[in-house]
Amino acid sequence: MNWDLSRYLALFVSESKEHLEALSQGLVRLEQAGAGGEDPTPIVDELFRHAHSVKGMAAAMQQEGIALVAHRAEDVIGALRARGGAPGSEVVDVLLAATDVISGMVEKAAAGGSPAPDEAVAERLDVQASLLRGVEPVAGGVSAPAKSAVEPAARPLAPPAGRRLRIEVEVLASSPVPAVRGFLVLKRLGDVGRIASSIPAAEELRGGRMPDRRLVVEIETSLPAEEIERTLHQIADLARVEVGEAEVEVEETPPAPRPEPPAEPARTVRVRAELLDDFLDVAGELLLATARLREIGRATPEPQRREHEEGVDQLQAIVKDLHGRVMEARMTPLTVLTDRLPRAARDLARRTGKQVEVVVTGAEIEVDRALLDEIADPVLHLLRNAVDHGVEGAAQRIAAGKRPTGRVEVSARRERDQVILEISDDGRGMDPEALRRAAVARGAIGAEAAAALPEAEVLLLACLPGVSTTSEVTDVSGRGVGMDAVKRNAEALGGNLSIQSRSGVGTRFTLRLPLTVAIQPVLLVRVGAEVLAIPVSKVHGAAEARLEALERAGGSPQLAFGGGHVPVHDLGTLLGAGPAPEAGRRSVVITEGDAGRVGLAVDQLLGQQEAVLKPLHGPLSLVPGLSAVTVLGNGRPVFVLDVARLVAP
Amino acid sequence: MPKKVLIVDDAVFMRNMIRDIFTAGGFEVVGEAANGLEAVEKFRELRPDITTMDIVMPFKSGIEATREIVKVDPRAVVVMCSALGQEALVMEAIEAGASDFIVKPFRSEDVISVVKKVLGEA
Repeated sequence: MNWDLSRYLALFVSESKEHLEALSQGLVRLEQAGAGGEDPTPIVDELFRHAHSVKGMAAAMQQEGIALVAHRAEDVIGALRARGGAPGSEVVDVLLAATDVISGMVEKAAAGGSPAPDEAVAERLDVQASLLRGVEPVAGGVSAPAKSAVEPAARPLAPPAGRRLRIEVEVLASSPVPAVRGFLVLKRLGDVGRIASSIPAAEELRGGRMPDRRLVVEIETSLPAEEIERTLHQIADLARVEVGEAEVEVEETPPAPRPEPPAEPARTVRVRAELLDDFLDVAGELLLATARLREIGRATPEPQRREHEEGVDQLQAIVKDLHGRVMEARMTPLTVLTDRLPRAARDLARRTGKQVEVVVTGAEIEVDRALLDEIADPVLHLLRNAVDHGVEGAAQRIAAGKRPTGRVEVSARRERDQVILEISDDGRGMDPEALRRAAVARGAIGAEAAAALPEAEVLLLACLPGVSTTSEVTDVSGRGVGMDAVKRNAEALGGNLSIQSRSGVGTRFTLRLPLTVAIQPVLLVRVGAEVLAIPVSKVHGAAEARLEALERAGGSPQLAFGGGHVPVHDLGTLLGAGPAPEAGRRSVVITEGDAGRVGLAVDQLLGQQEAVLKPLHGPLSLVPGLSAVTVLGNGRPVFVLDVARLVAP
Repeated sequence: MPKKVLIVDDAVFMRNMIRDIFTAGGFEVVGEAANGLEAVEKFRELRPDITTMDIVMPFKSGIEATREIVKVDPRAVVVMCSALGQEALVMEAIEAGASDFIVKPFRSEDVISVVKKVLGEA
């Protein structure tokens, strides 16, 4: 049969991705269940289903490459199910790798391609399936390319399964990076045979783990043991090399067929996310148009004015209802975001050689989809930060009297119209003094000002661009580059970031965010003929003052506020609207910049208003100091200020 | 006949130091390269018995250069010169075909012993 499959492509891609995401999450849960002594059977069943679905869909789409890899993955899970019990991390590694490979292939398919199967991962899956079934792996996959240090003939292509040899290697105590040496040994053995098992596994070695500097590998090879020994003899820093026959245990466990549970009936329809964005836009426009109608009505003479207002009231009620429903349709549980975190933490922990568990609570809370998109990266960054900089290595933790496995808690809760996300770790904590020094050294803050900052604000210095207390730059969470983005992101959304930390006990990052990003209360101010908006979430108060009568420090007049002094800037000057008025009473809005509170002198406070915020596009998005635009009832566009960037030196 | 060595490092200081180590060890340094691109060119031209390879270099990394050199000659012996903290990169280099590696700071006898091992002379 030959019909146009391309019309199913979008659905195939989106559904496959869901299954693959579930597969990846399930695998991490499976590993944790295994470690926690929990019954893994339900999870294995679920995994089997996901792999099976992907395979079936791919076959239907005539995506044979995807179907093949998914089929092999299903085989492994099937073998796991038949054997019972939890798998080792080696099996989980291979399945995660396969999930990633399939995801990549699905991406290619989405772009119109028909990706060929990844032979390497297919073979790794085969090996694991065979091992799980207690059968020796069958030869015939693609082998690693041959390469010899001495003679090409000395390293033939991996030979077909011959005998199984057991190789034990110990790296010299003086070797600076034993795990890398172990990895080299494993690579060489892969050149002369097929790796059947390796303790520690390649992934462990990658993560720098090689207990007692020992490596035990079993390979299938037809080469004589002497040949293997000769190969290993060419590797430096090995204290001991033993090559012998491996004992092969064959365990016969027939796979128990298990009926697949029927799929749950769906009571939902799929809607493209962009469509929901469009809906919200239109509903927002309707709100604005209604407000304009109301303005027009105010200019209408009396008898008609009343009728006009009734009509507008009714219209507004309907539009608000519509807007509310659209918002509701956009609400998405936080699980969409948090479900990815354990996998991210696991990958990172393995790379950094740490042990970390991630516990997520409260993720069933629903937030606006746009908010979810905006906070995904910041939350991921905070998690990475916690794993990379917060949680110590196992040895250091034990020395500090802690459990070797670090714990990162991600919790979400709702407080009125805010959602509070906390990412806390039980790691080494932050060092306020080091942060003070780093910020002063970078010229971000004066030494005296730094000394006077309360601790909660000192910790936030970590969010200044370029300030970080980690002496070593890693590829994982960079050097202070991300933290300032996290803080800015939270603030751009009308929320904030706070940090609590105790040396040796741990650190907690708290993100307070509005449930929705689309509507925010703003304070309208006038400067000359310009009207500008400041998010109310960033306003601490307002005052009136004669700037010329205030004491000056650091070039700015200092206004007494809340028991301290805040520097006051003229908003018109900051915006390049010319010099400030020489004298007279000015209104001052107390808001906050990166280095603490600041006052903005304006000509008039116009009042507070709910504003439908629209992101800036094109060149406007590059103007520092502006974060969004809103439209007033009279149709006039008003820019929303990004105070932190506006007052940044 | 002494074995021929090609030294690849973007730091002149490192090249000089490694050259001295090899010369004192009875090797012949036939060439030097300051980046990955040059390394591959020089390798084609000089066909050294050993290439020492820095990892992080401009234009083309040592890993990429290693991969290309091994493509040119599967028997090529490339020894990575790494620093502590570059473990992941070294493993990547091993996968790309590097024969062995040394970790800075290194002593001259360490360098010579690793190279002799790889050449099957020890």
